[in-house]
Amino acid sequence: MSQLSLFVKSGFVKAPLANGIGRYVPQCQRMTLKFCLGWGNSRGVRDFIQHDLIEFVKQNPGTVMYLKPRRHRSPVLVAEYLNGGREWFSLNDMTREEVYKWVDLYRTKAGYPDMHFKNYQHSDIPSIQGYWTPFTNKPADRNMLEFPQNSLNTPLNLKPSTSEIISKLYGEPQEQRSSR
Amino acid sequence: MVNLTRVMLWRRPSVRPRTVDPFWKKRQIFKLSSHFYGRARNCWSIAIRRVQRALMYVAAGRKIRKQHMQDVWDQRIRSGCQELGYLPEGEKTMLEGLARSNVLLNRQTLGNLAVLEPRTFEALNKIARVRANEEKIARYLGPFPKGILGKL
Repeated sequence: MSQLSLFVKSGFVKAPLANGIGRYVPQCQRMTLKFCLGWGNSRGVRDFIQHDLIEFVKQNPGTVMYLKPRRHRSPVLVAEYLNGGREWFSLNDMTREEVYKWVDLYRTKAGYPDMHFKNYQHSDIPSIQGYWTPFTNKPADRNMLEFPQNSLNTPLNLKPSTSEIISKLYGEPQEQRSSR
Repeated sequence: MVNLTRVMLWRRPSVRPRTVDPFWKKRQIFKLSSHFYGRARNCWSIAIRRVQRALMYVAAGRKIRKQHMQDVWDQRIRSGCQELGYLPEGEKTMLEGLARSNVLLNRQTLGNLAVLEPRTFEALNKIARVRANEEKIARYLGPFPKGILGKL
């Protein structure tokens, strides 16, 4: 499946301007609650406004709450963010607790569209000690070598030849191969 | 034997139910086949078959990806172990040694460390190697690391 043809976009976690590393700025600029004063589908929103709204607003001075009572309209939450993002969410037939939880969720969001996260971590500097290279674990004195080097002339792990083994066993004088 | 009573009393809708507009139903499939090659991109009967197969592969691939990622992490740990030489048998001995030393890092973290933090990985390798000296973990062990004094 190509990323272009999927309905749900995917990406990596990001915070606007590295929010939270130094100072945390709540990203939700304003929230508009549209509801009906009479109909039953807005009952949860009306209860939320009556009981929980004042405390919510006091705790979150950075987020402005607007109320739009409209006759015969279903309840809706519109959240707008500092980066220009805008989210529309229906609160139809929800209880007061559900409305509170959804409002709290949109308060903590950051204006980016809902997407599938490929990784929940992000770092601009993933490696502190430096990425592994083939030279990372090699001895550093090889940088200062001057060639030709007799010690590096022969192959690694050179095992004794059959002639050498036999001459060792029977003690016959043989031409010795140069050892590393 | 056919139960005629059952056949006669079987309730069927007298009016054909309203179907979904086929344009939108097919559009949903064509959106998923927009990157296919040739007629599978635009022709319905070919596209529907290819899209159904593609969706099956994606669903199966999610399960395979987990094993694939674990294989990649295993390979990275194994390569690190073999390069350093203290535990030539591979990642199983290193993980066993670390677990017995109460270092509870998983394969994902160790694999990432092997690539991104090679010095930390070497230190963890040495911990596992010293533990392997004390307890029988591996059949073949590499040289004992220098500079480690005393017991863990």
